[in-house]
Amino acid sequence: MLKTTLSIAAIMMATAVSAENSPISGTVESKCSIYTDVQGVYGNPNPYELSTTPADGGKQPIIRYDVASADYYIAKLTYPNAFSSSPTLTDSLTWTGDVEVSSVSDAGMSGYEAAKVQYDNVTEFDLTVAGTTWFKITSNIVYGVNKSFPAGSYTAIATAECIAK
Amino acid sequence: MKYIIALLAFATSAYAHEMTPTYFEIKSSYMEGMSKTKFRLFNRRSDVQYYEFSAFDKEWNPLPFATTDKLVNIEYLDIKDITIYFRDTDVKKVYYVCTTSRLLKEDVTSTAIASKICSRIK
Repeated sequence: MLKTTLSIAAIMMATAVSAENSPISGTVESKCSIYTDVQGVYGNPNPYELSTTPADGGKQPIIRYDVASADYYIAKLTYPNAFSSSPTLTDSLTWTGDVEVSSVSDAGMSGYEAAKVQYDNVTEFDLTVAGTTWFKITSNIVYGVNKSFPAGSYTAIATAECIAK
Repeated sequence: MKYIIALLAFATSAYAHEMTPTYFEIKSSYMEGMSKTKFRLFNRRSDVQYYEFSAFDKEWNPLPFATTDKLVNIEYLDIKDITIYFRDTDVKKVYYVCTTSRLLKEDVTSTAIASKICSRIK
């Protein structure tokens, strides 16, 4: 009898414990997050050239934008036009580049590439759809007139901005 | 030429920079002649520990403001609430408040994506 009573009591206690609620609360705010999914590397296809193009041995940086609300933000991406660190360079540099939509999470974003606005080394995309967009940056540098880059380490900075409309 | 190592950076893992709210409001503060607004910064960039605040008018002209840390030191995965103070005379001009990632010089080879998020007045 005692055993039965203890068993029932144990089951009741267990039931009581399992009935405990553990609420997890959260809010979703309109926000923009900028991720650097892949960071870029310059290849050196010719002595006078550095390039992030995969065919040239480089790697294109891929930047991901997550926007929680549609039509709240403009993405503004800038490809580099100066080195942040490099060996001493005595000749001029010619900087070129491009920013493209690499991938999208929503079919409604398919028009982003055609609608992009470009000026100087800046490309703007109007983020009119909520979700994730990946952008890839191409950067190419030519030193002098076919002049060899001095050996050393070269770093350039690309900028990714998210501006509330 | 094989000794040339040129980087935009090394790693392939994802890092993120977040700032809220998207649309901020400026309220009066306890200090006379000053108004304030508050931002929350979330650092999911393991490669960045410093973010710099800046304020602009509608034409992107910089505006003066005061805060305890203009250059905020924020650890990876940490959240910080930052209050920014404006002079009442500047409040009507304030349009954008931005945070920009700042890289330490010795860390520059390990990352070369600068991120900037701008919130706008409500």
